[in-house]
Amino acid sequence: MYLKRIIVKFGGESGQGINSVGTILTKSLNRAGYYTFSNREYPSLIKGGFANYQIDISNSSINSSSSKTNILCCMSERSLEEYITDVLPNGIVIYDGKELELTPSEEEYIKQNNIKVILIDSEEIAKENNAPPIMANAVLAGFIWKILKQNLEILNEAVEEMFEGKNIDMDAERACLQAGYNSPLYEPTLSEDIDIEELETSNNRKMTMTGNDAISLGALAGGMRAFFGYPMTPATSIFKFLGESANDTKILVKQAENEITAVQMTMGAMYMGTRAMTATSGGGFDLMCETISCSGMSETPLVIVVAQRIGSGTGVPTWTGSGDIIAATKIAHGDFPRCVIQIADAKSAFTLIQKAFNIADKYQLPVIVLTEKQIAEGLFSLDALPPNERIERGLQHGEKRYQLTTDGISPRWIPSKNQKPYLHTSDEHTEEGYSTENAQKVWEMSKKRTKKLEKLKAEIPEPEYFGSLDATTILVGSGNTKNPVLDIINTSLSNEDIGYLHYEYIYPVKTERLKELIAQGKRLILIENNETGQLGKLLTEETGYKFNEKLLKFDGRPFFIEDILNYLEKKEV
Amino acid sequence: MDINIYNTERKPTWCPGCGNFAIHVALKKALAELNISPSEAFISFDIGCNGNGADTVNTYAFKGLHGRAVALATGAHLANRKYTVIADQGDGACFHEGIDHLINAIKSNYDMTILIHDNQNFALTTGQATVTTKQGKKMYALPEGKPERDLDVNHFILSLKPSFFAKAYSGDPQQLTEIIKEGIEHKGCSVIQIAQSCPTYNKECTPQWFNEHIVKLETLQEYDKTSIDDALRLAKDMSQTGKIYTGIIHQDNTIPTFYDRLQSRKGIQSELVDEVREYDIRGLLKYCN
Repeated sequence: MYLKRIIVKFGGESGQGINSVGTILTKSLNRAGYYTFSNREYPSLIKGGFANYQIDISNSSINSSSSKTNILCCMSERSLEEYITDVLPNGIVIYDGKELELTPSEEEYIKQNNIKVILIDSEEIAKENNAPPIMANAVLAGFIWKILKQNLEILNEAVEEMFEGKNIDMDAERACLQAGYNSPLYEPTLSEDIDIEELETSNNRKMTMTGNDAISLGALAGGMRAFFGYPMTPATSIFKFLGESANDTKILVKQAENEITAVQMTMGAMYMGTRAMTATSGGGFDLMCETISCSGMSETPLVIVVAQRIGSGTGVPTWTGSGDIIAATKIAHGDFPRCVIQIADAKSAFTLIQKAFNIADKYQLPVIVLTEKQIAEGLFSLDALPPNERIERGLQHGEKRYQLTTDGISPRWIPSKNQKPYLHTSDEHTEEGYSTENAQKVWEMSKKRTKKLEKLKAEIPEPEYFGSLDATTILVGSGNTKNPVLDIINTSLSNEDIGYLHYEYIYPVKTERLKELIAQGKRLILIENNETGQLGKLLTEETGYKFNEKLLKFDGRPFFIEDILNYLEKKEV
Repeated sequence: MDINIYNTERKPTWCPGCGNFAIHVALKKALAELNISPSEAFISFDIGCNGNGADTVNTYAFKGLHGRAVALATGAHLANRKYTVIADQGDGACFHEGIDHLINAIKSNYDMTILIHDNQNFALTTGQATVTTKQGKKMYALPEGKPERDLDVNHFILSLKPSFFAKAYSGDPQQLTEIIKEGIEHKGCSVIQIAQSCPTYNKECTPQWFNEHIVKLETLQEYDKTSIDDALRLAKDMSQTGKIYTGIIHQDNTIPTFYDRLQSRKGIQSELVDEVREYDIRGLLKYCN
């Protein structure tokens, strides 16, 4: 079942450096040609607490996590207690410390599952190599690298690249990597027992990036020149990428005083004719909602990225979910057109954010791009990014800014000293942009704006279908649910033939393909990372079809492949 | 330029005697005298009586949301600095809904002009109290009078170390025009608080009342507008005596603008609006996680 997937998991406290060792291994594995998917789970605090970093490794592309692990490396007792039962039979537990006391139940689990336990004092080994305690992580990386039977040189190269230009004693770092790699604690049986031989590399170096990296790159590729932000997990790393690269890209990055300001600045910059963006999460998005309505009425292009986490209120700030689908599609007062797009991984993030700008410009409306913590911070492997999208802005000169047209799209031109000035307004207005209370005008201008959705709907694609057309069981989802489902389909993990219908554009929403599947009498299972099946509600609203089966998860964790496999096994019709 | 090119086919809808007439005429006059054409200015109007004049001013403009005129104007200004950017708002929008934007605009020193039509009430919603309404004054839904203390605007703004802070009066459009011109020409965030008559909801402040309270700064001897100490002394005097000094209270040309401090934009001649084109991101992969 796990032949094509090897999992390494680090557990410890926040601030112990599990991210750095996880990142070192991920980068090195990609350098060696493996595909990985890395994800970190951490509490909303800076030091202490309880965190893990998991790397799923495969010889084919994977974008999701397993709930089990082959190698568990623990840096705290509590993490051992928490994760021990996730270790697969014949797996390995590496405990980093001076001594280890196992509870009777832990001992029992270890014995029953033939798990090997290794006690390694990485800090002491670092010390022996004249390295500071912080480099103990390099010892662990070296040791695991040996178990994975990889070439030490690749690990060295990856680490050198990562720390290039940083004030780090590379001789000490290399000594620690080597000391871990050559540790006498290593036995060849460790490697054999986790079936590492099953992995065949293509020797093609892969690149790694998070979903937020890909959103940033896509926005830049699409000509975005300003970013207005306000910190909120898990959107904040977009801010980081764009800020750190600003001296190269020469874009303007501004931390606004709050989310309302960030979105207002974005809208003001878009009015003037540049491409600007803001990114936030649920609470910040709520604050932006009045501006979204204003963008709809004034027909000002707007692009907002919403990185979802689970729960209302402050919720569970550093954990994943997709409970803002209804908010994104319905938030803000009045009837006005909008577009809502959901990304699923790094590749789709790169492409869809560019599409978002094109749609915002051409249709002169707010576009909301939804991502999720799991995508935003998950580290994806890819061979290459897709090519850039062509920039489409739909600019044209005209006499009346809000001219009534057959498709509802009025001429819009970039403010310029040689062009006629125009007023954008959040008041209902005439074709010239003057405020109006005239009954007929109020009616026809509202209809004009709504009409834009028809053309937009014709432009956006139907949801994509994955898997065999003969499949009788079909999952329907959007966002990150695509990743575990496709990993199951692509690696034939399920005993039965399953299909997957994946939604990217959720407003306006296309349902012809869905209706065909309904008409064919397929077993449809709605899969969503929220409590009430929010995408399903939108689809029901559009088609009248009610999903009988729903696989919903809303505990802050993403769908692991086992969640889906277990569901399919238990609930077979 | 001929001031009429800033007019539209719409006529103002304000009450007879409203200070807004004079403020918008002064604004148009300032633009005309500075030779800024309608296509070279951007005005961000707030919601309120002043914003109801948006239809009557012919420039690039946006009548947005209540309290957000400054935030929206900032985005427009940063996108294209060739434009003369003006945020036009009332005391309600500026000191209530959008006070955070005022604070940050002054601290950031964006190169734009903020006009505050201070009529001492929310007039468009028929006369509710604002922070500039005098404490104890009977207002909409406050038959016993406004319970809160009013805001000492002068000390408040001066505490933010503005690069340009002026006070004017709608009843003196000549001086107001000159001040708006100075504000537009000042490189940095120019805040102009305009005492505005409101014959409907602020009947106490008649033209006679204003004339009794207003003192033109130019009549003072030895006032140094570059000195923050002089400005603070003036603010103290205003809070003690109820006088309103009009003119440029404080100007500091040594404070760099926000944009000028941006490392990423150093030495770049083009504006963000000129730069929307496909970008080759290959050189940026090193910034990925």
